[in-house]
Order: sequence, then structure tokens, then C-alpha cells
Amino acid sequence: LPKCPRMVSPAIALAFLPLLLTVIIRYRFYFVLFYRAILIRIWKDCVTGLTREERAFQYVLTHATPGDPESILEAFDEWCSKVEFISNIGPKKGKILDRLLLEQRPLTVLELGTHCGYSTIRIARALPLGARLYSVEMDQRNAAIAEKIIRLAGFDDDTVELIVNPSDEVIPRLRSDYGLERLDFVFMDHWKKCYRPDLELLEGCGLLGKGSMIVADNVLFPGAPKFLRYIRKCGLYEWKIHRATLEYSRGIRDGMAELVYQGIK
Amino acid sequence: MSVSFTTGDEDEISTSEHERGKNRGKRNSNDKEKKKKGNGRRKASREREGEEDLQDRTEKREKGKKRRAKNDLDEKQPEEEDEEQVKVKNGKVAKSKKNLKNETTRKIEQEKKEEGDAEEGKSKKKKKKEEKDRGKQTEKEEEKKKKHKKETSEEDNEEEEEDEEEKEVRPESLSPEELEKLKEAVDEKKKLIQGLRGKPWPMKKKLVTLRESQEFVEKYEGALGKGKGRKLYAYKVMMTKKWMKFQRDFENFKTACIPWEMKIKEIESHFGSSVASYFIFLRWMYGINMILFGLTFGLVMVPEALMGRPYGSIPRKTVPRAEEGSAMDFAVLWDFGGYAQYSVLFYGYYNNQRSIGWLKFRMPLSYFLVGVGTVAYSYMVVIRTMARNANESGVGDDNSFNFSWKMFTSWDYLIGNPETADNKFASITTSFKEAILEEQESRKDDNIHLTRFLRVLANFLVLCCLAGSGYLIYFVVRRSQKFALDGLENHTWWERNEVNMVMSLLGMFCPMLFDVISALENYHPRVALQWQLGRIFALFLGNLYTFIIALMDEINLKREEEKVVKFNITMWEASLYNGTVSENSTASPITIHPADIPRGPCWETMVGQEFVRLIISDTMTTYITLLIGDFLRAVLVRFLNYCWCWDLEAGFPSYSEFDVSGNVLGLIFNQGMIWMGAFYAPCLPALNVLRLHVSMYLQCWAVMCCNVPQERVFKASGSNNFYMAMLLVILFLSTLPAIYTIVSIPPSFDCGPFSGKSRMFDVIQETLESDFPAWFSKVFIMVLFYIQTKIQIAFIQLAIYYLQSTSKSYKEANVELKKKLQTVTLSELHVVWILLLTFEINLCFEIRALVF
Repeated sequence: LPKCPRMVSPAIALAFLPLLLTVIIRYRFYFVLFYRAILIRIWKDCVTGLTREERAFQYVLTHATPGDPESILEAFDEWCSKVEFISNIGPKKGKILDRLLLEQRPLTVLELGTHCGYSTIRIARALPLGARLYSVEMDQRNAAIAEKIIRLAGFDDDTVELIVNPSDEVIPRLRSDYGLERLDFVFMDHWKKCYRPDLELLEGCGLLGKGSMIVADNVLFPGAPKFLRYIRKCGLYEWKIHRATLEYSRGIRDGMAELVYQGIK
Repeated sequence: MSVSFTTGDEDEISTSEHERGKNRGKRNSNDKEKKKKGNGRRKASREREGEEDLQDRTEKREKGKKRRAKNDLDEKQPEEEDEEQVKVKNGKVAKSKKNLKNETTRKIEQEKKEEGDAEEGKSKKKKKKEEKDRGKQTEKEEEKKKKHKKETSEEDNEEEEEDEEEKEVRPESLSPEELEKLKEAVDEKKKLIQGLRGKPWPMKKKLVTLRESQEFVEKYEGALGKGKGRKLYAYKVMMTKKWMKFQRDFENFKTACIPWEMKIKEIESHFGSSVASYFIFLRWMYGINMILFGLTFGLVMVPEALMGRPYGSIPRKTVPRAEEGSAMDFAVLWDFGGYAQYSVLFYGYYNNQRSIGWLKFRMPLSYFLVGVGTVAYSYMVVIRTMARNANESGVGDDNSFNFSWKMFTSWDYLIGNPETADNKFASITTSFKEAILEEQESRKDDNIHLTRFLRVLANFLVLCCLAGSGYLIYFVVRRSQKFALDGLENHTWWERNEVNMVMSLLGMFCPMLFDVISALENYHPRVALQWQLGRIFALFLGNLYTFIIALMDEINLKREEEKVVKFNITMWEASLYNGTVSENSTASPITIHPADIPRGPCWETMVGQEFVRLIISDTMTTYITLLIGDFLRAVLVRFLNYCWCWDLEAGFPSYSEFDVSGNVLGLIFNQGMIWMGAFYAPCLPALNVLRLHVSMYLQCWAVMCCNVPQERVFKASGSNNFYMAMLLVILFLSTLPAIYTIVSIPPSFDCGPFSGKSRMFDVIQETLESDFPAWFSKVFIMVLFYIQTKIQIAFIQLAIYYLQSTSKSYKEANVELKKKLQTVTLSELHVVWILLLTFEINLCFEIRALVF
């Protein structure tokens, strides 16, 4: 029999089978996530020629009742768990957010990272009368879709103001352009790397007062280690992490950081 | 205060004071020489204690003092000085005293005031005396004034006060009544010290009181002795201090002598006792292997190398002609072929000469006895250790009082690292949560069918995995035999090392798979760990025995080959003889180079080589996994984290944890292989010592450098004997095949110390017959027959005794604990709680007392 001398014998290759199985079983949720969030997305992008957000918008448009935030959120959840994956805050962590908002009753809210407007709607419906939500989104196309969805949910310009600009440009101008003195509530769900610089920017501009609450999503997965290290060290905040799983996925652990600004003592 | 004791004989006091004043300069200089930490501390404490005594007694004459006018300046100065001393003292004394600081300083300030008063009084008195005999006193007074004017050094001050103390209570000056009183006071203090634990006082007060009374006793106990007693006492104190210091140094020295003790302690403080238990086990194993190594090296390898026939003298000690070309190649040596095979490292090299060298060393006998002795020694050590552990370990009922166990015993006091402490804290919290949930669920017990199904499924999967790995090993070993028949040179390195590679890889990866599968079962972590251990054990054992069975096949093949070779050799010799005879009829001794003489396959060396290769490949896999799985991963996680899109440290790959159970089992099976193979490859213990030595350093480094403390920190105290029991089982299982081969298979005809005998143990009989007088062998055999049955019975009795003793202790502990805890009804639970708390507090207290 002719033999390929360089080939590793099949028995040794078979011995690696347990390792392969272990890796597959242990990290199955990550593989599923990879498949849903990346492979399907690329495939659908090629097939439909639309972006993921546009597809989500189409689905919501056809499946939700206009003017009803609840049904829009439900449609989103369904699309994200059944069809494709978008990293919204999700229903479970959303409930924590709702609770925090109801406890805090904030009047001025800043949201960093609108994306499709899911979390914007969630925050806006939990706000008290007369409160105002400023939502910052960097991407033009996403912002257009978010605008449509927010208006579809029935929130007007007085309640939700969408700012299309990178967050690090918006924050220094909040005081001058939008006349904000103090933010009661900040929700961060944009680029994980911007969490820490934006937080420092907020501190630097003096927009945080004693008792202002900052909630940051996805601090464990994908994770914002520098942000966590910063809040641990700086001592300006009372903080805790709500542990949960990643949105629309069961096995991946994630957390939402809740910070209350204490100011310099 | 001195007044209360000395009003009767003022003059005496004044003179003695004066004398001391003269001596002061000398003593000061002496003291400066002696200026040491311990000394200083002692002095400071004594002085303070003196102040306290002062306080006690001054209370009596508080009224009298009040009458005196107070000079503010005079009062302030000593106070400042005192404050300085207090600071110094607090700095010196360990940090645990910190909490006491406030209290003590407050107290001391109080005392200082009073003492200031007293001093003032004294100075007044002095003035009176000075008036009496000014001539004598002037010198001293000046000295004193000088001291008061310039900031007196701390030491002088202390000295001064010490003087004052001495002045206060001069035992010689005491009347018998006062002595009696003092004695009573000392006794009282002693009683106080003994009964202090039971006092319902806060910890701080207890500590303070303890120290005070200890110092009081220390001081006046000696003072009660008259005359020379005081000096003797000082001498005694000095000697005890020195002795204690020496003892402490000696302890340190002893600790330094225990190999790797500091390393292990450091790991223990970072990772808890479970990880440390692995390293202690490793060290213990190292010790045993050292002794095995000493036996084989000293009694087998060295004598053969020094006194046996040299290399190249006979065929078994020469590389055959066919292999000569490649005998020095690294690849061949790495496989333990070539020159390595024909050396003292393996069985085949040894000659069957009855005695070697000028010492008449009985080599075959020694070889046999060392083989038996190593195994016997191992049995002895393992059983002895087990028995000792069984006596030591507190046996308890783990399941009945889950919450109380958790409540009172879950903290690992050896943890010294904040991160580990955090983890431990978190794990205790979670274990509480889990326990509560478990309790709730056990009451609900819904979905039991699903759980059962999952458990059965998990076991099925594990069985499949075990069977698969067993079959794979069997397949590989059979294939390697085929390769061996073809001739190993035609095959690649991978194919030649297939068996070892596959065994090591399976041994490494299958436990991971088991771990993942066990997540299905939803067991309690402790139970899950036991299952995991059991499964890994089964896997390793299965692999080892498959390997041995395959080796047996190979031995049989070799023996058949041997028969053919034997026949061929006789033919060859005959032909050679005939040839030489035909060529020259003188029949001179034929000189053929030993490398050219044909020889048998020598299955013993083959077995030894297989084991050595297995050990080597196992070691290599362990180290490579360590480097890749731990170190490389840690490096990647650490440095890629700066530029990665998710948090690598907290999330997905993270750092690895130290796998205690897997490592311990690996160690145990490694030892099993040593026991099995050591008879055929005397180099195995040496290799193992080397391996363990390297592992110790490498793993210590890897643990400290790239592992994180376990999320599930559990205590290891209970599992020690479990490991030992496993070791015993493995020892038994590994001696079985070795004994089988020794007893049932005849040794090769042309290699090894037993060549030419029908069985290996014939060497004993031979020795008895030829080395001892006839009567001895007769007696020996008679005695052997006589005790043969008794030995068996004794063995069984030993085992039964061990089991009985452990079970008895278990039972007793069980019954006792149950009694204790069951009598405690719920309403009384808080009493136990308080008792335990006080117990713990007392423990702390005791430790502190020891420290001071």
C-alpha cells in the first residue's frame, strides 16, 4: 500500500475527538451566536440587499400595531429570537431597566446608542410625564430607521430627541446646544470601548449630579473591562452589576452595570 | 504611690535612690549597648504596666494628692514624653493591636496624669531630703534637672521610670505582711488569667487584662524571691527569651529544611488548601520515589556499572551489528533504543553471574530483592499513611446538618489572597443559595423523571466514551504489533509512538468530556466531583489495563520468536563450530565479536522500554498542555485583551483553573506505571524523580503565573485519604501484572540477571542452597511453610483491622455528632451559636496571646 509518510495516523486524530466534542458542547452557545449573528446576517445581506436593521424594520412594520410601544417591542423580540440576531437590550434585562426607571423617575435621560430604537421605546414608555429623552446615534442609516420606529411607537419630538452624531462629539455640546444642566439617567449601549471615555466626558462636563444613575449594558459580554476597572477604582459611584444572560441567548452570561453618581466627597 | 509602701522607712529609700543615681550613668551606657527591639518592647511594656499598678494604688491616695498644688509645666513634660513612648510602642507591636490603640492611649493618658502627680509628690519629698543632706544630693539633682530641661531621650526616660518602679516595690524593703499581700495579688492575677476565657467581657478588655496581668505576674513572681532571687529571675527571663528566640529560629530552620514548604504555603494562601493538597501530595510522592530511586540506584545500577562486566564484553552488553550505525542517533536514543537499551537502564543488560566484583556482590539476588522490596516498601508507606490520616481526620456526618456545617465550617482560614477570599466568599454565598434551592427542590421534587433520564443518558454517554477509548487503545496497540513485525524503521515517528500518544491524549481529553457531560446530571458539586473522579479513574484504569493486555500479547509473540531464535542459534553455533573445525583443526577458541553473535528478542527489555516511553510521552504531554493550555492561553488572554472585541478575561476563554482531581489522578497513575515497570527498567524511579522534581517547579510556577483561583473553592481535608485509597488500589492493580509476569513467564535465555533459570524467583532457592549452610535452608523452608498460612491470615487481619478501626471511628463520631446536634432543638440553637462564637473568639484570643 502506498503511504503518505507525513500523515498523522488516524488513531491519533481520533484521540482528538473528545477534545472536539468538549469544545463544541461547552461553547455551543457561542457557536450558535456566531451562526445567528454573523453567518445568517452575511447571507441575508447578500440575498436581500438590505441591511439587518432595514429587515428588522420591515418585519416590525408588518407585524406590530402602530402607536403601541408594547407590540413593537414584542415584534422586535420575536424577530431577534426567531429570525435574526440584533443586540438589543432584550426582554429580560429590559425588565430590570424598566424597574430602575420606575424607581428613579428621571426627567432628563440620555441614551447613547439608539441602534434600531428598541431601548429608546423601552425607556420612553417608562418615563414620567414631562420627561425628555435624548438619544444619540452615530450611524446615519440606523438613525433614520430608529426615527421611523420611534415615531411609529407614537413618541413625538418633545419626548424623544434623536441626535445623529458620535457620542464623544455630542456630550460636550449637550450643555450649550440643548441647554441641559443635569442628566438624571444615562443609558449606555453603544460601542463598548466608548463606555469609559464617555463616562469620563460626562463627569468632565458636569452633567452628572448626585444621584444621577448610569446604566451600561453588555459589560460582561462582549464586555467593557476598562469601564468596569474605572468604576471600581474611581470611587465616584455606588455600583452593582445585574447578572443576566445575553439577550436572546440562554447560555452566555452577561451583566448590566448600574451606577449611581455620588460626586466628590 | 511609693509612699503607701515606704512611709515607714524613708531614709532607706532615699539612700538607695542616691546610690542608684550614682550608678545611673553606667547603666545607661549599658542599656544603650543592649538596645534591641525585643528589649525595648519589653521595657516599654513593663514600664506601662508599672504605670497601671501605679493607677491601682494611686486611687487610694487620690485625695491626698489633690491637696498638692499642681505645677503645670512639670506635669506637661512627662506627658509629652509618655506620648512619644506610646507611639513607639504602638509602632512596635503588631498590627492586630491597632483596634486597641485608642483605648490604650486613653487609658495611658489617664495614668500619665496620675503618674505625673505621683512624680511631683516624689520630687517634693526629694526636696525635703535634699535639705537634710544637700551635700550628697546636689550632684544627682543637677543631673535630674538637666534631664528635665533638655528633651530627655526616650531611653533615659524609660530607665528613669524603671528606677522609680524598683523604688516603688523593693521586695527587700517589704514587710512580711506586704509580701503576703503581693503574693495574694499575684495569685489573684494568675487565677484571672486562667478564668479569663469564661468572662463575659469584650475581646478588647480581655486582651488588655490578659496582658496586664501577665506582665504583673511576670514581674512580681520573681520579686517574691528574696535577695538574689531578683537577679536570678532577670537571668531566667533573659534565658527564656533567648530560648524562645532559639526555638523560633529553629522552627524557621526546620521549615526551611522541608523542601518547597514556602512555595506550597504561598500557593495555599493564594488558592486555598485544595490546590495546596495536590502539591503536598506531589512532595510526598517525590519522597517515596527518592527512596525507590535510592534502592534501585544504589543496589542495582551502580554495582552493575562499577563491578559488572564492562560494555562490549558479552553479547547482552553490546549493541548488535545491525543497529550499530544508528545507535547514537538522537531519535533512537530518545526512543530508548541503541546505546540506551544496552545499558544499566534496562533489564537486558544485567548479567546472570552469581557474584560480581571483589565484594562478591550477589547481583541477581539483589535485583530480585530490590524489585520485591520497592513494592513492599510502597505498600507499607501507603498503608501507614492511610492509617495515620484515618486517625487524624475528624470524621463527621456530612449530610444531615447541611446548613450548620456550611454556617460554621465553610471558611478556609488558610486563604491569604484577597481575590481568593472574594471567590471563597462568593462560593459560600452561592453554596448557601444552592443549598436553600436544593432544599426547596427536594421538597418539591418535580421533574424527577427528567433528571433521572438525564443522569442515565450521561452515564450512557460516559460508558460509550470509555468503551471507545478502550477500543481505540486496543486497536492502536494491535497496529503497533503489526508495525513491529514489519520492522519499525519503515514507519514514521507518529506511527511508532502512536500508542503512547493516543493514551496520553485520551487521558487528557476524555476527562474534559466527562466534565461537560456531568453538567447534564445536575448533581451537587461534591457529588459531581466524586462521579468525575470515579469516571476518570475508570478511564485511566481501562486504558492502563488495555495497554497491559496488549503488552502480554506482545510478550507471547516475543517468546515464540525467542524459541525460533534459540533454535537458530544452536544451528548457527553448530555450523560455526563445524566451519572452524574444517578450516583449522587445532580447534583454537573462536573469537567472534559479541556484536555479531545472534541473540533473542528479550521481552523484559521490551516491556521496560514500553513503560519508559509511556512515562516520557506522558510527561511531555503534561508539560506541553501546561505550556499551551495554561501559559499560552494566559498570555493571549492577557495581551490580546487590549485589542479584542470582547472581554477575554471575564468572558469566553478566561484564565484556566487548576484541575486538582485530574492532576492527582495523573500523578497516581503515573506512579502505578512506575511500580509496574520498575522491575524491567531500573531507570524508571530515577526518571520519575526527575519528572516530579521538574513538575514541582513547573507547576508551582504555572499555578502562580497563569491560573486563577477556583470559582468553586472546596476544602481538601476530607479527600486526602480518598487519594491514598486510590493510590493503594492502583498499587495493588499495578503489582498484579508485574507479579504475574515474574511468577508465570520464564525469563529470556540470554539476557537479564535471571537468564538460564526457569523462573525468576529461583534465585532465592539458589542462594539458599549455595550461600547458606544446609541446615539454614532447611530451617528457612520449614519456617516458611510454618508461617506461610499465618502470613496470609496476618495480611487479611491487617486489612480487616484497618477497616474495622476506621469504621469504628466513623460510627463513634457519627453517633456522637448526632447526639450532640439532635438534642439541640431549634429553640436551643442560638445557645450553640453563642457557644461556637465564644469558642471562636477564644481561639482568636489564644492565638493573640501566643503572638504576644
